[in-house]
Amino acid sequence: MRNIARSRWTQVVSLAAVGVLALSACSSSDSSSEETAAEETAVEEPAVEEDTEPEETEEAEVEEPAADEGCAELTPASLQLQWFVQAQFAGYYAAKDLGFYEDNCIDVTILEGGVDIVPQTVLAQGGADFALAWVPKALASREQGAGIVDIGQVFQRSGTLQVAWADSGIESPADFQGKKIGNWGFGNEYEIFAALGKEGLDPASDVELVQQQFDMVALLNREIDAAEAMTYNEYAQLLEAVNPDTGELYTADDFNVINYADYGVGMLQDAIWADEAKLGDADYVDLAQRFVTASFEGWIYCRDNPQECAEIVTANGSQLGASHQLWMMNEVNKLVWPSPAGIGIVDFGEWQQTVEISLNSPNLEGATVITSAPPAEAYTNQFAETANAELTNMGLDTTGDDFTPIEVTLNEGGE
Amino acid sequence: MSTQTADRLKLIWPPVLIAVLFLSAWQLLVVVRDIKPYLLPAPSLIAENFFGDIALMWQTALYTGTTAFLGLVFGTIVGLVMALLAQRFIVVNNLVTPLAAGLAAVPIIALTPILNNMFSITSRTPRVLVTAIIVLFPIFVNVTRGLIQVQPVQLELMRSMNAQPRTVLRALRIPNAIPFFFTAMKVAAPLAVIAALVAEYFGGPQQGLGSRIAGSAANTAYGRAWAYVVAAIITGLMFYLIVVAIERWTTPWTGRTRSA
Repeated sequence: MRNIARSRWTQVVSLAAVGVLALSACSSSDSSSEETAAEETAVEEPAVEEDTEPEETEEAEVEEPAADEGCAELTPASLQLQWFVQAQFAGYYAAKDLGFYEDNCIDVTILEGGVDIVPQTVLAQGGADFALAWVPKALASREQGAGIVDIGQVFQRSGTLQVAWADSGIESPADFQGKKIGNWGFGNEYEIFAALGKEGLDPASDVELVQQQFDMVALLNREIDAAEAMTYNEYAQLLEAVNPDTGELYTADDFNVINYADYGVGMLQDAIWADEAKLGDADYVDLAQRFVTASFEGWIYCRDNPQECAEIVTANGSQLGASHQLWMMNEVNKLVWPSPAGIGIVDFGEWQQTVEISLNSPNLEGATVITSAPPAEAYTNQFAETANAELTNMGLDTTGDDFTPIEVTLNEGGE
Repeated sequence: MSTQTADRLKLIWPPVLIAVLFLSAWQLLVVVRDIKPYLLPAPSLIAENFFGDIALMWQTALYTGTTAFLGLVFGTIVGLVMALLAQRFIVVNNLVTPLAAGLAAVPIIALTPILNNMFSITSRTPRVLVTAIIVLFPIFVNVTRGLIQVQPVQLELMRSMNAQPRTVLRALRIPNAIPFFFTAMKVAAPLAVIAALVAEYFGGPQQGLGSRIAGSAANTAYGRAWAYVVAAIITGLMFYLIVVAIERWTTPWTGRTRSA
């Protein structure tokens, strides 16, 4: 009996430890971030080499054939994702599997994320060379001292929806009043606060905010009136569920979909972030340029070959079913394409909107994402501009002006 | 009277001194090495967040504290009933003990999402149940032991006087189990706060400590996150101290050997 009791305590202690894991992630101290101030001038440097190919000089004589022969050696680089492998990150997996990184002399290791992994903090602590993060969350980290810079705004628009039942009478954020509104928390809910604020609703008293689990059961059981959903993931989960009344899958007609982007409260999401302190180092700038260029090439490939990219992601260990994966690939393409100014270029208006919301939309606690506007150095378009020029030279379409999404039919459970 | 106060002071100053030294060293480290808040927030920043929003801290702690209290009461009652049955009927004992051990070994992270889907995620119910399950085991194990482990001499005396099992229970077993009960409660009470807090990580209403610690940490607002942690620590301590106070008040004769 005593032994059982004791093992129970060990377990409880470890559970408690899990509880504060998110916080203790900050305990290891790191010196790289301390140089930030000293290297402010860094950002200007790559402009000098704008027109030169990023490859090393050996490459000069072998122009046309596979550039990987021109690499003396591959530079190792790591990318921290926000979540497990899935089509949301297809461009990077395609660039890796199809050799675009290798062509640019990089050996990329893709680090999967998880619930408690904050990619931009991993980046700032030196745990990865590059990281993907939503802009508002990354700006919050930046304000708390994490020296990170947006070097590629891959997703041009927000993919956040609020989904309600068609018979709920909820058709716009104004109808949220007095309803149970699901959201994910963990910093993914600011568009909801912004939409509420715009309608003059107080998040603390005019609605009942409920944190959703990582599934849509609460909406399907009608425990909440509207659920937060990404176009590319949770919305598909709804359409993959069987309606018990008909025995058929639910269809889009069963739901009212509110797209936050349509209400002027969309915030910029997946972007590539780099370490600001290291941007003073010419080698890192060179690596970042090659990484951005090759990654964008991957995204262009996935725009034109969604089926193949979905398969690449699945081959990399994604547990999602085939139709769900393809749906995600297609929806993510819609967030990337068209890129009017070129892939990865930050649209200043969208950036300003993201900053405005981050500054002015208090959450339940009355806190805002950031307390002062980020400096202009928080993002740079120079890497994306160089990449666009190079890719255009290679004969690739970097804006996707005539991009047309494919039609994806979802099967039960996403199979 | 004054010597008693002096004794208390003697007991109090070492931990206070250590705490002050620790916090000063922490503050010094952050300031001197210019450690950014996203890595390690300074105690001053945590204090600023804590006292700057003390009303919010109180409301948040109250929400989680209420969950913990309800779970603690419910779990204790179930644990006590199970212990009484287990003591009386050997069949129940054999049946319930492995069951309770098994239940206690189910991790919160597996249990909570299931309960959230079984009961309404928008209510407090799943969290109260998680807390109750966590609380139940130490209460059950300790109280069962207290009920069973009586002095054989006393038991023989009762039997020689032809006492009914009910009388044995009331006059011998329950008084014997009371110190065991309070020992279990001292463990279970702060544990209930931890369980209620961790159960908030998996969705549901967002006004509790667990939701807000996780939310603040996800937003790199570590100063605020740690302020909530401070509120959680105070809540856990309050639970513990209340149990200690109840123990002293109801059974002043137990647990006082230290001063003798």
